Amino acid sequence: MAKAVKTVSTVVSKVEDLGNDTKRFTLVDQDDWELPPFRPGAHIDVHLGQGLVRTYSLCNEPDDDRRYVIAVKREREGRGGSNFLHDRVEVGQPISVSLPRGGIALDQEGTNIFLAGGIGVTPFISAIRHLERRGRSNYVLHWTSRGRPVLTDMIAPAIEAGRVRLYDTNAQAKPVIAAIFEEFAGSGLAACCGPAAMLKTFGDAVSAWPDERKHIEMFTPPKVIARSDVPPYELYLSASNKLATVTPDVGLLGTLDALGVDVPVSCGGGICGACRTRWTEGPPIHRDRVLSPAERQNELIVCVGDCAGQRLVLDL
Amino acid sequence: MDAIAIDQPEVTMSWQGVVRFLHKTPRAFLPMRSFPSLELVAGRGIEGDRYFVGHEAGFYSHKPEEGRQVTLFEMETFEALQRDHKIELLPEEHRRNVTVEGVPLNHLVGRRFRLGEAIVEATRLSTPCRHIEEILGKSVFDPLINRSGLNCKIIAGGTLRVGDAVRPI
Repeated sequence: MAKAVKTVSTVVSKVEDLGNDTKRFTLVDQDDWELPPFRPGAHIDVHLGQGLVRTYSLCNEPDDDRRYVIAVKREREGRGGSNFLHDRVEVGQPISVSLPRGGIALDQEGTNIFLAGGIGVTPFISAIRHLERRGRSNYVLHWTSRGRPVLTDMIAPAIEAGRVRLYDTNAQAKPVIAAIFEEFAGSGLAACCGPAAMLKTFGDAVSAWPDERKHIEMFTPPKVIARSDVPPYELYLSASNKLATVTPDVGLLGTLDALGVDVPVSCGGGICGACRTRWTEGPPIHRDRVLSPAERQNELIVCVGDCAGQRLVLDL
Repeated sequence: MDAIAIDQPEVTMSWQGVVRFLHKTPRAFLPMRSFPSLELVAGRGIEGDRYFVGHEAGFYSHKPEEGRQVTLFEMETFEALQRDHKIELLPEEHRRNVTVEGVPLNHLVGRRFRLGEAIVEATRLSTPCRHIEEILGKSVFDPLINRSGLNCKIIAGGTLRVGDAVRPI
């Protein structure tokens, strides 16, 4: 039986060494099919094998829908993702990625003020290409770089039009971030992606701005979103003698998946009943719209289920 | 055609519908692409689609199901979603293969009917899945309950074209 498909299959179609320790990778479908859509400045998880997963912003714009373009700066002291991409990934290699997530909710009328440090420019390149493609110029990019910036070829018209302010911090002073945003205090969107010190200064500069008018893109992994609102509990599978702890970030279904249990999940939303499972100890929390009160006495729809107590025992 | 002479309920169905859109995609998560025609192959599915038997690459391919050979969706549901939930769902977004108009899909489970020159048998109502919300970024799961289309197996294959008639046997 085929394995469950959980990621988007892509192939590396181009690898470009841009200098300054940065490579640009273009990922496409093997048949040049359109890839799943994304918002300007969205990011994807890139699965590099053996559990190595790294998140990168897409540099291209949503209308450019047959490729995902990422730019990766080698972090010699990093956790291994960028070194793997630089040293091991070649044209023709298959790479699995997640569906794109996130993105920047651009201001349609006011000015979008982007502040980037080095390779942190990637989500703004996507946003600028998106705006330029629509003939819009309501943005400005302030971009610091140590030495020659890379990726400038992707926003050449914007640079030529004077909508990008470059700061080579090896040769000139850093921008005064507070001053950049001061003139736009009443309208527009403020967005920043860069090193921690830049993010901190940016945060201070726009602290009085309403949340919907500011966007911070972190270099760190995405925040874990709790899938469940119940405290951790013990899960015991009586038929296979397996034990695990279910935590809110992983949830019951994720824990079963991690234990290698093949539960026949279909809808994932508690309506089809495909994953109904017998329980013997709980009590479970039922969130489905399938089981009758009588059935709930000994069955649970695990795709939306949880435990109200400290221990849930399933007949799996 | 003895092969299609199954025990149908003794009810005369008088509807007649039409094929409005045809879509397929080769792999899970990839957008559905519109085509003017699709090749339906008896017992296998749609050539080039992610659930074509022998080339399975769909989200549910690890759970084989005969009735996933071709899936249908009602045009009328677009209007209902707009009217009841203010949701605009596009033909390429529901991820079923065939969008039909004037066909009472929810009443066809267990029945065979003509889809252009092909003959299909409805096996069950489709259920929505959370996966579609993830792909679309639209909260369509609840609104699509009981309106999510029909799963069918292909009894007799053939070329299916936009504009073809859909009718009872």
